[in-house]
Amino acid sequence: MIIPVRCFTCGKQIADKWETFSLRVRAGDRPIKVLDELGIRRYCCRRMLITHVEIIDEFLKYPQVSAKKRAEII
Amino acid sequence: MDIKLLSKEQETLRFVLSDVSPAFANALRRIMISEIPVMAIDDVMILENNSVMYDEILAHRLGLIPVTTDTSYNLPEECTCKSELGCEKCRASFSLEIEASEPVEVVYSSQLKPENPEVKPVSDRIPIVKLTAGQKIKLEAYARLGRGNVHAKWQSVSAATYNYDEKARTFTFLVESTGTMPPEKIVLEAARIINAKSVSFGEGLGGMTES
Repeated sequence: MIIPVRCFTCGKQIADKWETFSLRVRAGDRPIKVLDELGIRRYCCRRMLITHVEIIDEFLKYPQVSAKKRAEII
Repeated sequence: MDIKLLSKEQETLRFVLSDVSPAFANALRRIMISEIPVMAIDDVMILENNSVMYDEILAHRLGLIPVTTDTSYNLPEECTCKSELGCEKCRASFSLEIEASEPVEVVYSSQLKPENPEVKPVSDRIPIVKLTAGQKIKLEAYARLGRGNVHAKWQSVSAATYNYDEKARTFTFLVESTGTMPPEKIVLEAARIINAKSVSFGEGLGGMTES
């Protein structure tokens, strides 16, 4: 849904690194390099960021659409 | 017993412990993982939440946010108040109130307002939830001291390991704090707990020989 606050396995807090990670990877940086620079060493924490899908962005579209619809009716 | 410090970066401590038994080194490691009292949000009172996230997920995420520990607080089970809700000596409160006006608005841990500035989220940039225009969250959260063996949110370390060199009989420790307490304080606190356990064990034995 949204980036988990901690690594599922070891409990390291990784949520605050997601935005940097996602921005830099989308800009074309290699994930390996970004993770190393963010100081995420263990593979349990690395997979948290590598495999994450931010689905909450999709969910947010529904209230946005229904608000627009409501505005049209009124 | 001999301790030699190898390195200390923000949350990570490396040291070499020598002239101790593997049993002692392991006891120290296990206590760091599961028995150091640290603070974490434990109770959340949700007054308003029309976000896309359910109340319980929101509360769970708040619980997992590492907060700095102020050791002057009492453990709830040892506090004199004996109250389920707790008193000012055994709980620290936070409040969060936000209504979104943008199409996508991220709520960060920095927006959690702590009542005691000594107990605050370790990082200001932890996303809690995302809101869209018109959505509102209003809640009050209470942090308490607790131990890792009850819930992982109370774990003081994200890694506590050692490497045993059989020939040199040394233990190279690595302690990585979650940020709630400096790692050296965690080691010290673990030593204090071993000591308290040994003392109470001794007292127990004393009672047996008397009877």
